[in-house]
Amino acid sequence: MAKISPAPAGQPDEHQDMRRNFATRDELIAYLREQFPAATAVDAHVSAKVGGRRAAEAALSAIRPGDAYARTRNYLNGAVTRLSPYLRHGVLSLAEVRDAALQQTRDRRRAEKFVNELGWRDYYQRVYAALGSAIWEDREPYKTGYRPDEYAAALPEDVRAGETGLPCMDAFSQELAETGYLHNHARMWLAAYVVHWRRVQWQAGARWFLEHLLDGDPASNNLSWQWVASTFSHKPYFFNRENLEKFSNGRYCHDCPLYGRCPFEGDYETLARDLFPQQSA
Amino acid sequence: MNHNVIVWVHGDNLNPHGPALGAYPDAPAIWVWDEALLAQWRISLKRVLFIYECLLELPVVIRRGQMVNELARFAAAQGAATIATADSPSPRFRAICERLRQAGFEVEVHRERPFLDYNGRLDLQRFSRYWRVAQKYAFD
Repeated sequence: MAKISPAPAGQPDEHQDMRRNFATRDELIAYLREQFPAATAVDAHVSAKVGGRRAAEAALSAIRPGDAYARTRNYLNGAVTRLSPYLRHGVLSLAEVRDAALQQTRDRRRAEKFVNELGWRDYYQRVYAALGSAIWEDREPYKTGYRPDEYAAALPEDVRAGETGLPCMDAFSQELAETGYLHNHARMWLAAYVVHWRRVQWQAGARWFLEHLLDGDPASNNLSWQWVASTFSHKPYFFNRENLEKFSNGRYCHDCPLYGRCPFEGDYETLARDLFPQQSA
Repeated sequence: MNHNVIVWVHGDNLNPHGPALGAYPDAPAIWVWDEALLAQWRISLKRVLFIYECLLELPVVIRRGQMVNELARFAAAQGAATIATADSPSPRFRAICERLRQAGFEVEVHRERPFLDYNGRLDLQRFSRYWRVAQKYAFD
């Protein structure tokens, strides 16, 4: 795929300017590997998701924000739009995505859930503007019965490497590193696993996600982690195996060697007692 | 053509039709890979690639270094006293704007068309409280 770049205004300075012309995406990738060794050392994968306004417009024209979105968006194979990297970097604005959705559905009610989800991003941006760098601090105390210092400060290496032995969590970790994307439900499960099952500070998980997510920004990312952790909600978010199996269409559970005896097995009351014993004491 | 102005493009607005590039389509424009930010955030290669592909569709020169120094150097080389840019909620963005102002530049911050056509009070304590008001404007 050849890139045709518009010529920048002003005087070019070949000694300072980074390259703009590449015959292929592979050539660009090779250049970036050489120019950004530290980023390559963090993780050298590249995503199939292409940046830029042209790709963003193509993705926008393909959205189906109506009934199927509302009905299936919580499933890993649901009709989600994957516009988030373009929204995060302002390649598309929330207002234009909303306008496109309403134009397509022609009925406000059919696009209600989709516009509500855009509202979450607008909300998080506003909270970020109000908080500034305090977005890295607990908004409220944990409601788990644990003090902040009872959570580990660092992400366990087996979580980062996708080697916990839990096929679902390891698949999410690897998908994150390889593609820079995770479905929202997978983000919630993985975040809940890190914070509540491994008892790790949400900040460690948030930093990890920001290394990889193409849509990673401190507003949506950190505040969602805080929502899971319960420092920005009334109660901790957690899940059980049944919930994960349902919304992943069984893709991890069916052949899982831990089926029936994994850490997520059980009803919510039992899991809550195990995870938050001091809360229920 | 207004060469008293440069446009500073940053990672919260990589739209060729964004508010600052839209206001000054012929002005020299710059992106700077901020060494301090790269070190702090440890973003992986795929994020660098995605951003770089966005930049290749924008009329910007691409540099790397210390953000304020690079912006000031580029503006001075273009004879520009004004730096136009798109708004961002990031505290780092505000700090950079402040340092540019202290260095004697006029900084023009252009806002994207907002999601809500509403300037009244919004309770940000919880999403549900925000949405109770926001939903009246979010579909307009």
